[in-house]
Amino acid sequence: MIAPASGPFLFDTSAESWLGRTQDAILQNWFQEYLSIHPVHVASITVMERIRGYALIASHSHQPKRDAVERARTAYLSRLGHVWPVDAAVAVVAAEIMALLPLPPTPPRQRHKQIESRQERLARWRFDCMIAATALVAAMPLIHNNAADFEFIRSAIERTPERFPRLGPLQLLRCQSLIN
Amino acid sequence: MKRHRINPTRRTTLTLPSESLTQAASIARARKVNLSTVISEALANGLQSYAATQRSEEILSAYKTAFSGFSEEELLLLDGVVLEPPAKRRR
Repeated sequence: MIAPASGPFLFDTSAESWLGRTQDAILQNWFQEYLSIHPVHVASITVMERIRGYALIASHSHQPKRDAVERARTAYLSRLGHVWPVDAAVAVVAAEIMALLPLPPTPPRQRHKQIESRQERLARWRFDCMIAATALVAAMPLIHNNAADFEFIRSAIERTPERFPRLGPLQLLRCQSLIN
Repeated sequence: MKRHRINPTRRTTLTLPSESLTQAASIARARKVNLSTVISEALANGLQSYAATQRSEEILSAYKTAFSGFSEEELLLLDGVVLEPPAKRRR
């Protein structure tokens, strides 16, 4: 188990929402204890992905649903923790990761009859690179729910430490490992 | 010269559990401070912890509102995953 007091941690986009809506009582207690000690640290990329999601849902919804989406969006923004910007340092590290790993390691997501386009997959991969870069620059472990992508980035950084002077290793914590 | 802000105090009468009071008195003796100091420190810590719990509950409640009422596809959108029907992709 990861002690909440050993934070603060940077939360990946899907990890933040997964913890925010978990029904698991042990995880809920873990998150509540974490929140009583530390703020939720996120990359500005996470805020961008999230708000884009609300905007896309709203654009495909009728008025009553749009109001509900707006309430959800406002609730999310009203309690935002610490948001790390994409500054020059994050941009440099993200660029190095993207140059090392230009293509995503896993295929586009699919669900029922829907599929992620190649452009969307590439964009999401680059956002993951920027989130990993933010964790490296902030020197914070990254809590994630996406082992395949982030482990790929971690390995590449370990293989080429000369490209990341005075940074790393990228510390990764899977959501499930928080309580196991 | 730096001016220190003094926290104003107020006298009051409280009814406290004798066991807690005995413990507080023993701590005060060991630290060579008066009983009021020990009790006010314990109260401050308790209030700080209460505020932290309140804050965490408010954040959790905001998260519940932020992520409830959405379908699985919509939750994927909120996580940055945009799925489309194959027909739309060919356009």
